[in-house]
Amino acid sequence: MRVFIDLMWFFKQEKRPYILGISILAFVAILQLVPPKVVGYIVDEIKDNKLTPMLLAKWVIVLVIVAFAMYILRYYWRIMIFGSSYKLARVLRNRLFHHFTNMSPSFYQKNRVGDLMAHATNDLQAIQGTAGSGVLTLVDSIMTGGSVMIAMAATISWKLTLIALIPMPIMAILTSYYGSILHKRFHKAQEAFSNLNDKTQESINGIKVIKTFGQEKEDIASFIKQSDDVVKKNISVSRIDALFDPTISIIIAISFFLSIIFGSKLVINHELTIGQLISFTTYIGLLTWPMLAFGSIFNIMERGRASNDRVKRLLGEPVEIKDKPNAINETPSGSITYSIKSFHYPNEEKEILKDIYFSINQGETLGIVGKTGSGKTTLLKLFIREFEGYSGKIEFGGHSIQDYKMDSLRSAIGYVPQDHFLFSATVGENIAFTNPSLPKVKIEDAAKLAHIHDDIIEFTDGYDTIVGEKGVSLSGGQKQRISIARALIMNPEVLILDDSLSAVDAKTEESILKSLKEERSGKTTIITAHRLSAIKHANMIIVLDDGKIIERGNHEELIKKGGWYKEMYDRQQLEELVEHGG
Amino acid sequence: MDKMTSMSGKEQRKVLFRLMSYTKPHIKTIIIAFTLLLLATLGDIYGPIIIQRFIDDYLTPHHFPYKPLVTLASLYIGIQIFKVIISYFQIFKFQEIAIKIIQQLRIDVYSKVQTLGMRYFDKTPAGSIVSRITNDTEAIFDMFVNVMVTFIQGSFLLIGIFIAMFSLNAKLALFCLCILPLIFYVMVLYRKFSSVFYQEMRERLSQLNAKLNESLQGMPIIQVFRQEKRLREEFADINAKHYNAGMRNIKIDGLLLRPAIDLIYVFALMIVLSFFGISSFNHTVEIGVLYAFVNYLDRFFEPVNQMMFRLSMFQQAIVASSRIFRVMDEQEVAPIQQEQKQLKIVDGEIEFKNVSFSYDGKREVLKNISFVARPGQTVALVGHTGSGKSSIINLMMRFYEFEKGEIFIDGKSIKEYPISELRTKMGLVLQDPFLFYGTIEDNIRLHNKSITDKNIEEAAKFVQAHTFIEKMEDRYSHKVVERGATFSSGQRQLIAFARTIATDPKILVLDEATANIDTETEELIQEALEKMRRGRTTIAIAHRLSTIQDADLILVLHQGEVVEKGTHHELIAKQGLYHKMYLLQNGMTELEQSI
Repeated sequence: MRVFIDLMWFFKQEKRPYILGISILAFVAILQLVPPKVVGYIVDEIKDNKLTPMLLAKWVIVLVIVAFAMYILRYYWRIMIFGSSYKLARVLRNRLFHHFTNMSPSFYQKNRVGDLMAHATNDLQAIQGTAGSGVLTLVDSIMTGGSVMIAMAATISWKLTLIALIPMPIMAILTSYYGSILHKRFHKAQEAFSNLNDKTQESINGIKVIKTFGQEKEDIASFIKQSDDVVKKNISVSRIDALFDPTISIIIAISFFLSIIFGSKLVINHELTIGQLISFTTYIGLLTWPMLAFGSIFNIMERGRASNDRVKRLLGEPVEIKDKPNAINETPSGSITYSIKSFHYPNEEKEILKDIYFSINQGETLGIVGKTGSGKTTLLKLFIREFEGYSGKIEFGGHSIQDYKMDSLRSAIGYVPQDHFLFSATVGENIAFTNPSLPKVKIEDAAKLAHIHDDIIEFTDGYDTIVGEKGVSLSGGQKQRISIARALIMNPEVLILDDSLSAVDAKTEESILKSLKEERSGKTTIITAHRLSAIKHANMIIVLDDGKIIERGNHEELIKKGGWYKEMYDRQQLEELVEHGG
Repeated sequence: MDKMTSMSGKEQRKVLFRLMSYTKPHIKTIIIAFTLLLLATLGDIYGPIIIQRFIDDYLTPHHFPYKPLVTLASLYIGIQIFKVIISYFQIFKFQEIAIKIIQQLRIDVYSKVQTLGMRYFDKTPAGSIVSRITNDTEAIFDMFVNVMVTFIQGSFLLIGIFIAMFSLNAKLALFCLCILPLIFYVMVLYRKFSSVFYQEMRERLSQLNAKLNESLQGMPIIQVFRQEKRLREEFADINAKHYNAGMRNIKIDGLLLRPAIDLIYVFALMIVLSFFGISSFNHTVEIGVLYAFVNYLDRFFEPVNQMMFRLSMFQQAIVASSRIFRVMDEQEVAPIQQEQKQLKIVDGEIEFKNVSFSYDGKREVLKNISFVARPGQTVALVGHTGSGKSSIINLMMRFYEFEKGEIFIDGKSIKEYPISELRTKMGLVLQDPFLFYGTIEDNIRLHNKSITDKNIEEAAKFVQAHTFIEKMEDRYSHKVVERGATFSSGQRQLIAFARTIATDPKILVLDEATANIDTETEELIQEALEKMRRGRTTIAIAHRLSTIQDADLILVLHQGEVVEKGTHHELIAKQGLYHKMYLLQNGMTELEQSI
């Protein structure tokens, strides 16, 4: 029952449809009692030769009215109750999504996308089930069950009702007992199925090994063996599953039998008419469903409660990075100064950045190089405030970046991440991501600047070509350049290229860098790269190693110095030669 | 893939027919189950008749002879018990058949997938193949268990009920028959609308999930570009559409499902009551018959409701089966051998003669490749990523069919050897040493039963994997988790070596690992490789040039062509591409002079 209390906020909010729906449901439960009753009356009137055409017409009209009333009312309570439960899922889904958009990367490190998806789909479905079928089952089983029993006891015979009800609890007990066994066996069957799934997955992924060793037949044999296990477990489920229907029908039959035997006695003693007895047996039929439903309600509520708790916990995760009160609401500009003593990721021991002190003026280009894992990307992530909690300070335009509103700070930054993520939308929409209403000319300008325009017009639908999973497959270099265009279209104060030219060939890289220089005079650019040609032209280059700055200066200075940078530069010159076939 | 429901009725019937052909091997069991079903249905139908007898013959005239009544009562109880037992077995048998049919279906797709060529695996994501084999078949399982059994049971019951009704009162039964077209019409109507609406809801749901999934994955981008608000609105919009589609479903269910069937039920009741009422004006009617009719009507409508409820499941099963059958009909099979049964690989001489190859039929990734590897020689392939090294191996392993040129083994075309001969005599060591879930032993033996425990240990000793395996808990029975994640990449590689050596191949094909391997294991691996190559013809892709300095022939590939060819010393002396690559990997001392 706790889940209903937990969901009370929603029931209160949707008071009207719920109250209306439940009232209608109750009313239908009572209306249902009419047809059997009419049968009983007619039987008695026939038997006593009292039935007249008028009387018959009256009963038929009653039935017609009741039938249509039930039809309409049944339609409406569905809309009220099921409709509200759909609404609940919708509301919660929006809430979850809203919450997700506020969470910072550390949240996504803790929760995998797959799990979050599962919450948003399976858990919401279970909650929806509780607010819909759960409410329905509870109300309906109580209402129908209650009113049928009352009708049986009050209008026919309370003695007979008691007798007829004797087997019913046995049914409830048996079915819930089967249910618990079934649950366990079903769980095992699911496990077998998921093992088979894993086996299949593994074989498909390792298909080359299987083919290499020519073991296709043997692998099929092992698949068959696994699937035998699935069969075995499923059959054990069926053994129990097949018990339900016969059990219910035998219990109902016993109840029938008892009613007829004892009912006949009452008929002989003139305590009951035959018509009443026939109505009575029809009522017993009506009791089956509430009995079964009552058994399943606990299951529905239990699932709903667990799911609701999970969703609640998720929604309760605090937003980590928030605006300060009185945060500056202006787009920052000016020089950037890093003074970071140390930084490590939340829940991790390892220091990622140590003693990072440097400053660049507005309009300058900063190059950051270093081995994989040296802290280049982290350095950038701190600037866009994906992570906080470092000791020290980053200043932008004379203020700490934490003093700005997140929105204002980010409006100054055009970020091109390492893993060029594009959305399943058209190329044009991807480029105009920051502002879908931008005119086509602007989109094309950005694309030209990123040297992707020529590629795009080659696509079948040009700028309207769909990219992403379902669309055209782009090369890594094309994706990178679209990501660059996406950042350039906002003409940002600071452009950040996080190793975003790695998949672009050297010549294109050079042209892009050249256009950037021309178009972005007076604006700041930060570039991290493996390939030094991408940062050769920078005003300042810092070399990171293990989170520390080991070298700094411009290209000429660093070459002269003869350290890591110089060694790397020579290597890459040669690599380039090899790539081009000598 | 949800678009599949736009299949025409004819296609749907074809799919259903093909699906039904899977019942053939179970025909015996099915007949038994049907017989049981028939008996159970008879019991179901006979129950009300007994009560009718009781009411008309004994209760109404208030005549209660002891013996006939006891007989009647025992008959009733007997029938009920009999029916319960029978219907249990019948339900169980039908489920059992369904389970077995699904298993067969699974085995069939799985076996088919095993015969497909690498091209198929290149273009089809692994996830979708797995989904065909497991999830889609599961959807069909639901159909067999729920839909088929419900429909068969329901139809049996309906027929039985009508027979009973006719035997009780033919005229009234005829009247009741009138409701059948009505039910049928509602069914057709429901199916027509619900298939559209249901489809729409599913599509909206998949859109919703796609949007959510994509947004979660692209969240850093959304946030850094400050598009949270817009995405929230877009999501809310899709969410609203999904909600509306859901509401339409509720409405159509409310209009045409249970409420509609219940409405028809009351009408049927009206017909029965009116009939008896009107005939009672002229002569006496048997109350028991009326009782039986009312009771039959009650029983009649539950299966109808169930059948209506299962219709959408049926639809889904058809879609799922059509997807499965499409895989079964897939043409992209593995290269076919023009087999000469007795052909055996004895010496292991390999010759490539003017081989050209293209994956997509447009861009050639191998151009006119020719070389010879004499028995026992090592030929090394070097070159930049995309130069065509792996394609050579792919052709040699017959993963892909090639059209131009010829590959000879011992002077005979590779296409003429039985595939099993190629597989046993050629050992490929993959760059990614894929380990399966199981034990170390399982991973070395794979499914090859002719490999003894002793062979396994010898193979492991040979490649120097024995030492680290010995140190592990349970030694050779040590558990290997998914993908061998608990082993270091070097250890995985050594196990993969042992796997290849255990089959004692004549020809060795090596795709050398580039993964970062700790220096200690690296040495082991190099030693193992050297030992493995002894006495075997070896084709090796080498990333570390230092490991192939002793190769008999080195082919330097660039953009699908052999640009340099010779021994290490010859190539170094040439001062070409190989030389530069070599310098790159061997310290910078000489490097400066070379630029």
